[in-house]
Amino acid sequence: MEEPLLGEKKVVKQSGEARLIIVDTTSDVREDNDTDVIVTGSHGGKVGGDYLSKLNVKGVISNDAGIGKNNAGIASLKILEEHGIPSATVSSMSSYIGNGTSTYEQGKISTVNEIASKLGIVVGMSAKEAADKMFEALIQETK
Amino acid sequence: MIKEVHKIVRQSGERRIIIANSATSITKENKNDVVVDGSHCGKNVGEMTFEAGVRGMIGNDAGKGLDDSCIAGLKVLDEHGIPAAAVSNMSAMIGDGTSTYEEGEISAVNEAAKKLGITVGMSAKDAADKMFEAA
Repeated sequence: MEEPLLGEKKVVKQSGEARLIIVDTTSDVREDNDTDVIVTGSHGGKVGGDYLSKLNVKGVISNDAGIGKNNAGIASLKILEEHGIPSATVSSMSSYIGNGTSTYEQGKISTVNEIASKLGIVVGMSAKEAADKMFEALIQETK
Repeated sequence: MIKEVHKIVRQSGERRIIIANSATSITKENKNDVVVDGSHCGKNVGEMTFEAGVRGMIGNDAGKGLDDSCIAGLKVLDEHGIPAAAVSNMSAMIGDGTSTYEEGEISAVNEAAKKLGITVGMSAKDAADKMFEAA
């Protein structure tokens, strides 16, 4: 089977092994991202939640994809919560889906899971600030 | 990467309609296929399905979003004459290709799809059939 056609990862922050990473698509995240907070351009649906919880990433911010039928666009938040991973989505009206840099630079938080909420991440916050809070919490944890 | 086994719902010679949850699982092995997936139809999805050489694509409109970015991939495929359409995110569950195929209602079409008689309001199944028959 051929490798799928994928983009690249950007590291925006690093402290020891902990990193804050931007990807356009969640499928670019790999096993070696298990010490990282991930900001992705992908939707926050179940498929990404299953994948990222298995990789044991340390935080996720994705696009709410308009939330949609049965809240399918944000279904990953609950899955990640069950694995103890803070997660939030940005509104699809605030940033370009499929573009992780837009999620990070322009995104406004639209939904949060309980673990993200405990870190002080709230609806309306910028994705940057939310990612910082996840990253800071991760550094504290690993100290 | 997100690995998945695609469902084949129709086949005639080398042409197929296949279902994928994620467009990122589409490879050059899908070059003769009409792909129905659970992904949004953003620019990057248009680019990756074009690179794979698909014959048609139906994805989720993800609510269309900022500057219609969630359906920007339709235009990318249109530039290469490849029919593409999106289903409303209120009709099908994003990330679930079977839901796109079984429940999806078309909310946006590109020019190449329009020429095949694919219209807004049509079922995704009918739209996929039209792409398959033209492929």
